Amino acid sequence: MDQFYGYGIYAISLLTVGGMYAILTLGLNLQWGFAGLFNAGIAGFFAVGAYVTAILTKPEAPEHLGGYGLPMAPAIAVAMLVAAAIAWAIGRICIRLRSDYLAIATIGIAEILRLILKNETWATNGPRGISSIPRAFEYLPDPWDKLAFMALVLVTVLVIYLALEKAWRSPWGRVMTAIRDSEDAARAAGKDVESFRLQAFVLGSALMALGGAYYGQYTKYFGPDSSDPASVTFLVWVMLIAGGSANNRGAVLGAFLLWTIWSGTQIVTGWLPREISLFGVAIPDVPVRAAYLRIFLIGLVLQVVLQRYSKGILPETRPAVLGRRITRGPEPGRQG
Amino acid sequence: MRRILLAGAAVLATATAGTAEVKLGSLGGVTGPIAEIVALLMEGRELAARHVNEQGGLFADGQQLTLVVGDSACDPKAAVDAATKLVNVDQVVAIVGPNCSGATLAAAQSVTIPAGVVILSESATSPAITALDDKDLVFRAAPSDAYQGIALANYILGQGVKTVALTNANDDYNAGLAAEFAKAFEAAGGKIAAHQVHEPNKANYRAEVATLGGAKADALVVFAYYGSSGIAIIRNALETGAYSKFFGADGMVNDELVNQLGVDALKDAAFTTPGADDSTGAFKAYMELAKDLKQPLGPYVPNAYDATFLLALAIEKAGSADRSKIAAALREVATPPGEVILPGEWAKAKALIAEGKDINYEGATGSLDFDAAGDVPGTYTLNTVTPDGKFAAKLLK
Repeated sequence: MDQFYGYGIYAISLLTVGGMYAILTLGLNLQWGFAGLFNAGIAGFFAVGAYVTAILTKPEAPEHLGGYGLPMAPAIAVAMLVAAAIAWAIGRICIRLRSDYLAIATIGIAEILRLILKNETWATNGPRGISSIPRAFEYLPDPWDKLAFMALVLVTVLVIYLALEKAWRSPWGRVMTAIRDSEDAARAAGKDVESFRLQAFVLGSALMALGGAYYGQYTKYFGPDSSDPASVTFLVWVMLIAGGSANNRGAVLGAFLLWTIWSGTQIVTGWLPREISLFGVAIPDVPVRAAYLRIFLIGLVLQVVLQRYSKGILPETRPAVLGRRITRGPEPGRQG
Repeated sequence: MRRILLAGAAVLATATAGTAEVKLGSLGGVTGPIAEIVALLMEGRELAARHVNEQGGLFADGQQLTLVVGDSACDPKAAVDAATKLVNVDQVVAIVGPNCSGATLAAAQSVTIPAGVVILSESATSPAITALDDKDLVFRAAPSDAYQGIALANYILGQGVKTVALTNANDDYNAGLAAEFAKAFEAAGGKIAAHQVHEPNKANYRAEVATLGGAKADALVVFAYYGSSGIAIIRNALETGAYSKFFGADGMVNDELVNQLGVDALKDAAFTTPGADDSTGAFKAYMELAKDLKQPLGPYVPNAYDATFLLALAIEKAGSADRSKIAAALREVATPPGEVILPGEWAKAKALIAEGKDINYEGATGSLDFDAAGDVPGTYTLNTVTPDGKFAAKLLK
């Protein structure tokens, strides 16, 4: 009984964390899949979202800024606005850069954000991080607190997904893909390319802050180690590329699939015996070595997926131009 | 292909079959920034589990103690995920670890405290863990940084040095240590003339050293890891003639320090480390048992042994693999009164518990008498460099 209850709790945690990563991949999809912006600074916006929410919702603490005790929803809204403002300021300067230069700029900016958050000790408690972050619904009895938090995350994913699907089919989305595919052509058609790209960058970054805000609540502690680029920026890119960029369903699928593999492989490697004898060679400390095997497995999965599905598991599908209201026959991007 | 599958199935079958077992979570930063240190720690944990299993296992029917490894990667996100699996999927009785303070804070608050599972970390030293509202479920077998800061501050003042310049690497361990040191040093009447935080892994630290040198203090206190910034800072301070007297803590104690800087440069240097009193019977017993380990006295390796052995004793004392009884049992077996149990004395402890007698484990690292917050008092040694280029350690009283 306990065992099955445990599996249930673990399944909830998989869906919760997978959902938080789905918010991040959807944000990246808006930037990369829609507008072709190579943002390599996801970790920075993720950290901003987590820190701002934590500071605004926590009771007074001597180690860092706080004591505002804001309710959850306005705090998250402020966190998203802060991230959007930062993205807007960065975007004003860098958005004209072509994709690879933008990538370099965003790596640098994300590291600057992370260093500021690490060094402004008066606000963030510096390298020692913020502890006891309030989590939504934690006052409910076990397991309802976990279920409610999972529901909150999944509903958020659904809302963002539906909104992005609508955006994808809208003239706005069509302008985005037009800019992605041929900036010059879009410009020739009279579109304000910089303005559109800036919109995608700002909105995507705000979504990344939302992902960070939830993640900070989920782990209840957030410090500089929490926004390590390898487990945020890199993993989110892998999720989007494997799932299928420029496809919102692919982005969500990639997040849940990769997180399940990432987390679930540890259970599989846990079944391995303490020592294995392979072709007469004894391998000791298997459980410790297996931790590295997991990282190798992730690489292998990515290779297989990319070899088998070169455009991701769910590749991009263009909304049919004449599909829905055939009589009106609008041209792509006419109203954008 | 079929043969491989069959072989795989056979491996799984042998892994799951066998005698009844009690699962203890073994959470640690197996991958990540401190992987090398954790590999040594894991050996300490395994050694303790082996001693339990070789001397009759757990409970009357001799169940095996199995350590289930979870990788916390020194990352709060990974620690929460790994702890969720240990608590829910593997249904462990209690958890040893995790290692880093951030990972410990996240795993404890997000997973183990709500689930009512005891965690005992052998290396998380952040003072923030003391203040945690933990329902008596979070314990440590390593002293809080607060104690090491006080020990070093008292030693420096005892040497007649009243004014120091202070620098620390900007990571959670060294920043925490520096904050606790500064508090203790000033409270005891000392003066911090300058405090400069530095980022590790820079090519040189002349700018930082110039600021610190301008303060004209009597000595420089460096909290850093020797490789990533400690050696470079001392070298820059010597080059510019800013300081010739240095103090620091365990991150600096490594032979590489002497190899690169030379004995003369370090003749006035002294570093504290959380150490063991090597005159106790418990320490000698541990050294005898641990002589096959790669580094029996590696960082926190004796603590790892003590933590695992203590949790095993607590499970035996609780009489069943019931999570809710572990915290109370842990306090009973770790603190007086009771007959003293030394490292490795599992059979003796088991017999005493069966008779209903109290026991009191004395570990290699000290008495391990938990205070109200689940912390242990610190024992520190002072390390100085001898003329032949070795570190000599003596116990700080």
